[in-house]
Amino acid sequence: MTSYITDMLQGGLGNLFAYLAAHVLLCLLPAFYIAGAMTALIPKETVTRFLGRNTPRIVSYPAATLAGSLLAVCSCTIVPLFAGIYKKGAGIGPAITFLFFAPAANILALVYTGGVIGADLAFARFFLSLAFGIGIGLIMALLFRSEDAAHDKATDAMFAGQSAVGMNPAALIFLLVWVALLLAGTLKVGFLTGSYHQLSLPIAGAAEFQGLLDRLVPYDASKGEEGLSVHGVTLILLLAAVGLTSWQGIERIHEGFNRWTWIAMGLTGLTLLVAALNIQTDAMGLSLGFTGKFFGVLATLLALWWLARKRLTEDELRDWLWESWHFVKQIFPLLVVGVFLVGVIRVLIRPEWIENLAGSNTLLGNLAGVTFGVFMYFPTLVEVPIAKMFLGLGMHRGPLLAYLMADPELSLQSILILSAIMGKLKTWTYVGWVALFSTLAGLVYGAWIDGASLGLIALFLGAFLATLALVLWLVSRHTAHEPSLPKPAL
Amino acid sequence: MLTIKILGPGCANCKRLEEIARKAAADMGVEAEFIKVTASNDILAYNILSTPGLVINGKVVSSGRIPTPASVTTWLADALNTA
Repeated sequence: MTSYITDMLQGGLGNLFAYLAAHVLLCLLPAFYIAGAMTALIPKETVTRFLGRNTPRIVSYPAATLAGSLLAVCSCTIVPLFAGIYKKGAGIGPAITFLFFAPAANILALVYTGGVIGADLAFARFFLSLAFGIGIGLIMALLFRSEDAAHDKATDAMFAGQSAVGMNPAALIFLLVWVALLLAGTLKVGFLTGSYHQLSLPIAGAAEFQGLLDRLVPYDASKGEEGLSVHGVTLILLLAAVGLTSWQGIERIHEGFNRWTWIAMGLTGLTLLVAALNIQTDAMGLSLGFTGKFFGVLATLLALWWLARKRLTEDELRDWLWESWHFVKQIFPLLVVGVFLVGVIRVLIRPEWIENLAGSNTLLGNLAGVTFGVFMYFPTLVEVPIAKMFLGLGMHRGPLLAYLMADPELSLQSILILSAIMGKLKTWTYVGWVALFSTLAGLVYGAWIDGASLGLIALFLGAFLATLALVLWLVSRHTAHEPSLPKPAL
Repeated sequence: MLTIKILGPGCANCKRLEEIARKAAADMGVEAEFIKVTASNDILAYNILSTPGLVINGKVVSSGRIPTPASVTTWLADALNTA
């Protein structure tokens, strides 16, 4: 019994350390700063003024997805923003598209999925969310169009009267350089991952230290587990230092920048640079490999430093640091706890269960993925390590995508809040469509993974969409008759 | 006597904003009544998209970000001059 508990604790800690050391730094750290920059530097009005009902559909729906991925980085901000744009007179269609797209395909979620599970799943998540988000938006607009017209009486002034608030071009460049840093650090291409210069540090005891770490965090490479390296320990310590200095320097940033603010920023840069190195332990000590990544990160960091000092206003710099720190404080602790628990649970779940239920791309498997996603509530981004666990336990990538589509969209909690905003009928209709589309997304993607030809998939998808269009057309013809009741004279 | 409203559902940013506004008013020695607006319908009555919002004498001076103590002081002074 005690050995069982030790196993679980070791599983949890091992998962947490491997995660902190290996995966998060080059994708999650920049992603937090990008998220902060988007919240602080992009004026919300620039995007949302395209969501008004007078805007043509071809503009408003893409604008809704853009708004979703740019503005609502954390699911906790989506529902208030959705309530805002819906009550201020945005059409229900674009508002729903916004609601659907934001949690599944915002920049943090995509980057993180790509980094932890694989770029293919991140792209699938993006494109399918885009297609289905717009699809569900259009369907909801069609189903509820008579009510939507009544809602029209609510003022449109919010959207029509907004002046275009310009965005500081330097802020835009700042944001793009961050994206470049992210790509330089995470893309797996030869000229970035290869080393151009080797440096040996004769540190006595490095090999012994690595041996000690291997005993502390035992791992089984065949199960896809990763151990903890000297490199990893260095990074975890640096990360802790960044956290402590940020607490001193950014927590009270509205009273002015202090010494700690600059130290925190310097340490963040250092952490990214160390993460980009290729550090190996050998009998002689440590060998440092200066990779293409390292030079890419270095160049972008210098550009960011210059932009921050010379081109951004003090207000912009402060808001950016504050919002990024705010995201870190809000999301990071949840991730740490979540990853630890995933490591513990992994010891308990038998791979056979997952393989029987969702080991292949079946309708039942995909439904199981969706059901699990709807009824389990995980804080933002924790769905990703959970998905990785399922993948390791033998889940097929199709049902996995179905789960990843449904989990951030729907939870019992968000269903309750939504029904308070737009009514029970609309909410449950939305829930039904999301469940249907998530299952479909999993099936389609799974079929593609299993090697079905694209033509065949397109044929099935086309047939499904045609049936759907027919049904909706019938429904709309039916409802079109109703407003022929005497209209009040205007 | 100024009326200062803090718009926001009670998130961390709203609390920080209230703290800054209270301190600015106290430092200036301005008499002010603070009202916290937390119901989402009441917040939406003001023309803002994102919280926290700061309203001085019925006028929205800031929304979607936390202003610095210096700018809050300036807004308070403006409000006193026009009052």
